Amino acid sequence: MKVSLNWIQEYVDLPDDHGELIDVLPMLGLEVEEQEKESEPCLNNVVVGEVISKNPHPEADRLSVCSVKVGTGEPANIVCGATNFLPGDHVAVALPGANLPGGYKIKKSKLRGVQSEGMMCSAKELELGSDDQGLLILENTTQVGMPIENVFATDKILELEITANRGDCLSYLGVAREIGARYQKSIRIPTVKTQGLPSKKVPSDWILKDIRIDSNACPFYTLWSVSGVRVASSPDWLKHKLESIGLRSINNVVDVTNFILHETGQPLHAFDAKKIRGSSLLVREARENEFITTLDATKRKLDPGMLVIADSENPLVVAGIMGSVDAEVGEQTTDLVLESAWFHPGSIRATARKLGLHTESSQRFSRNVDPMGVEYAARRAIDLILEIAGGIINPTFFSHGAPPRSARTIQIEQSYVERVCGFSLPSDEISEAWKRLGFKVDGSNPWEVLVPSFRSEVERPIDLVEEFLRVHGTGNLKNSSFSFPATNRENDASYDFCQRAIDNLVGQGYQESCNYSLRSAAETSCWYSNCSLQNLSLDNPLNADHTHARPSLLPGLVDTLAHNQKNLNTLTRVFESGRVFRHGPRGNVELISLAFAAFADSNIREWRKKEKLDFFELKNHLHRLLHATGLNEPTGTWETLFGFNPWQDGYSSKLGDVNRNKLELHLGILNLSLTKQKEAKGPVYAAEILIDPVLLNRKRKNRCFVPFSSFPPAIKDIALVVDQSEPAESVRSAVEKIALGIGQGKFKVDPVGVFDVFSGKGMKEGRKSIACSMRFRASDRTLSEKELNQAFESVIEKIEVETAYELRK
Amino acid sequence: MENNLQAIVVQAETVLKSISSRSDWELAKADILGPNGSLTQIAKGIVKLSKEDRPAFGQSLNSAKRSIETLFQSALTELEERADLASLGDYIDPTLPACPSHAGGTHPLTNVRRQVVSIFRKIGFTVAEATEVETEWFCFDALNTPEDHPARDTQDTLFFPEESTWTSVSRKSDEKYILRTHTSSVQIRTLLKEPPPLRIIAPGRCFRRDTVDATHSANFHQTEGLYVDENVTISDLKGVLDYFLRELFGEKLETRLRPSFFPFTEPSFEVDLKAPNLGKLSDRWIEIMGCGMVDPEVLKLVGLSPENWSGFAFGMGLERISMILHGIDDIRYFYQNDQRFLTQFSNAS
Repeated sequence: MKVSLNWIQEYVDLPDDHGELIDVLPMLGLEVEEQEKESEPCLNNVVVGEVISKNPHPEADRLSVCSVKVGTGEPANIVCGATNFLPGDHVAVALPGANLPGGYKIKKSKLRGVQSEGMMCSAKELELGSDDQGLLILENTTQVGMPIENVFATDKILELEITANRGDCLSYLGVAREIGARYQKSIRIPTVKTQGLPSKKVPSDWILKDIRIDSNACPFYTLWSVSGVRVASSPDWLKHKLESIGLRSINNVVDVTNFILHETGQPLHAFDAKKIRGSSLLVREARENEFITTLDATKRKLDPGMLVIADSENPLVVAGIMGSVDAEVGEQTTDLVLESAWFHPGSIRATARKLGLHTESSQRFSRNVDPMGVEYAARRAIDLILEIAGGIINPTFFSHGAPPRSARTIQIEQSYVERVCGFSLPSDEISEAWKRLGFKVDGSNPWEVLVPSFRSEVERPIDLVEEFLRVHGTGNLKNSSFSFPATNRENDASYDFCQRAIDNLVGQGYQESCNYSLRSAAETSCWYSNCSLQNLSLDNPLNADHTHARPSLLPGLVDTLAHNQKNLNTLTRVFESGRVFRHGPRGNVELISLAFAAFADSNIREWRKKEKLDFFELKNHLHRLLHATGLNEPTGTWETLFGFNPWQDGYSSKLGDVNRNKLELHLGILNLSLTKQKEAKGPVYAAEILIDPVLLNRKRKNRCFVPFSSFPPAIKDIALVVDQSEPAESVRSAVEKIALGIGQGKFKVDPVGVFDVFSGKGMKEGRKSIACSMRFRASDRTLSEKELNQAFESVIEKIEVETAYELRK
Repeated sequence: MENNLQAIVVQAETVLKSISSRSDWELAKADILGPNGSLTQIAKGIVKLSKEDRPAFGQSLNSAKRSIETLFQSALTELEERADLASLGDYIDPTLPACPSHAGGTHPLTNVRRQVVSIFRKIGFTVAEATEVETEWFCFDALNTPEDHPARDTQDTLFFPEESTWTSVSRKSDEKYILRTHTSSVQIRTLLKEPPPLRIIAPGRCFRRDTVDATHSANFHQTEGLYVDENVTISDLKGVLDYFLRELFGEKLETRLRPSFFPFTEPSFEVDLKAPNLGKLSDRWIEIMGCGMVDPEVLKLVGLSPENWSGFAFGMGLERISMILHGIDDIRYFYQNDQRFLTQFSNAS
């Protein structure tokens, strides 16, 4: 909310140094967003003058000769052409020596034979407004002789950010109350003359015949009738006030309602009574397929549930939010109906949100206006309308329902305040803080604190503690310390796991990166199946780039590689850890993922030739990572992937299934066309781990020591010729299984390893040789040559019988 | 005989000087010590000597043999040393760069998260995590922010479609799934799972429906902190936060609690700090985090009695802290992943 300091001074005395408020208000919880300074026009020698007398010019009909008090000295004699002023008015006077914005210099001169010692100015001449139709009339409270700059240019506008709980501070009186509490000054609430008698029925002499309230969202509704007004432009003081906070002046009646909205925080609505069809007003929910063209010239479709004020035919106002052009107060208006009401905050909020229409009015109603201030605001507005626009108030006003909230008493003990705060204070200092806020405090221990109706959010003892601290300040906490017992909780396993993974991958030369979790539909559909596309989409994405929750870290990593490649950076190995989202058999799941990616050929020029990264080196990186983080590979074999986006057919592999094993590993080259789409040049190797967090919460069993043989192993190698398509693991495990069988009961067999793979010269087309190494050990002796040869013979025999493999001779 | 032995020793010395390979050495050794070697031949002459002369000859022979063997052994060692050295190649130029050169490094957000976590670890806060996909109840309602609460307006929330289901995210009833707007939801999930006293710190990724610019990001990171125990006071809160901020920003630091509003704390404060070592932001109040005493309503919503339990909570943006610490002026750098950005901080602890 914009607060003009000149304006707010009318309600409370400000500190001598106004700038102090910029530091003081935030400490009361009213954040000062920014301070705007009005541009200061240079107006030397322009002062406030008071017109003492106004006489016709002896020689010219259109001119008058005035005596104007401009300070402590003799009044100045000034010839003037304007007519919009009377003796007693305060005006802006440019004295000889003044240099007006248009470059116009003021000197003593004779006008049609009469001496003029200066010039009375219009707003336009001083560049203080656009009005050039007459003199700028100042408020009578301005001090005669005061430089005009002090009246206008020193105004500071503070943009306050009001927190959601402080609807009361969306008003000048509310902010004044806070300043008053801080500086211990009482505030000046304007007195009202208008009284009026409430009537639950529409009086017979009333301008409307029928008023009905047909909604629970409007528990308190008042309407006031003023007839015979003259709608015209607003007086300068009013225009200036509204313009100072960035509002546009419309006409005197509308301006008064806007002024009161800012002064009291109570939004009002003025209807042109003659435009209300059927002389009836109905507060009701909108009907199906009802439309309204709001004042911002937008046709809006209304939904049932939205509250409107309607005449016998159409909705005239979206209640508490914005009126329509239909019953707008305009120049022809003579009879007014003024609404002041309390609408349910949630209802206004929901409607404003649904319509995307947030107004000064909806902002206040949705933050709970003071129901006890509804009538005051109307009276104050009518006072001003009568003063500015004339007219007669009907002594009876229509009043439906009652204020839904009033002042309330909260009981609170001193010990409670101290227990929450953690420090002690004399009881006076505590109750004093509440009193300064306008709360009434009775009794002691417990205190009975009467909280006025305008503070909707102060309901509980804890709320009073907050109010005490706001006013008292938190200075007592300056040297706070703490002491509390140790807790025996450990970090969640998922966190520690990711930290270990990060450290390991950094150690392996990978740079950590951080990519957005929200991805585009285009990317998601190319990289993952249509299944992800539907299930991971957001209901209300902000833009087309961020429509889906990421199923994988890989696209982001390729973006990172491509970005750095494009910028000729030398970064070619990157990783990320984070949450990814997948569609599972029973619904969506959130998984922990680790992924790393690297260009096969980094293209970075180095002083000596280096090996390209390949699948098996990457597989080692993955193994190191699993090992360092304490994960075991899922059981099963690595299967070569075909037709499995985003991986390249035949050059990628998968082990495990996250739904079954809680762990899934992917490894290989990413689909060449996908990485090319992301403008990454050259094949990208990547590895991806998907983890169901449940896996990390499993308690690990204590490992038991397994004794090992102190005798040397006997080593036997065997080479088998197999089909080119036969996985090495099948050969290895077949050999291992046979060897274990042979050794059973006699000696142990270490895990069998593949140490050579050969195809080409000397090998038949479509065949390859796989060489395995077997190590036999007994726990109690060195195996004899004879035992060893026997065992080896048996292995070969079994291989020939049980497998389709051919012994390489 | 004596002379012959001497001559053989000399011969061995001479021969060994000229050998340059293991095979030369083997040959030379066979020439002298082999079955047909010169020394072996002389040794065979012992049978021709008289019994009296045999011991003396024997001694001379042994001594010559030992000398020769020593010569051969040391020649072999020398030979091997030379071969070892030769296998090392040319001397190195240590000024050439490492090759391959993949330094690896952490992301600045990891650094700041670890700094924060480590400071709080020291005073007994441990990390709690929860899902990034949340439900409205855990993210708002349980945090005392019901549907018609004005504070909910400011949380521009990303929703999943009504029909989506998340098996790994538990719901209160049939409320909608969302992406969490703050890490405060971890407070609720942890309080429902673990009994107080409880002291947790919850770093994690959050989402708002914000247009990306220099200060807004579609996703960002926060760290939540929560302490629930008997008789926790605002003074404890201030003490903990002062300790934390001094550890992070240095001893020469002023802090203040500025009244504010969060639906889930009462009283609520923004924490401002003023420090001399923050570049452009030095010596002026800057907002660093939000905090407050856990609202009694929140305690009730997780089944704790506000009569017996009280607590404080705080939350901060990790990007913001990193930006203040390092003078980074645009949040988008964190997600652009340019090497020239990342490596400036990748070895910062």
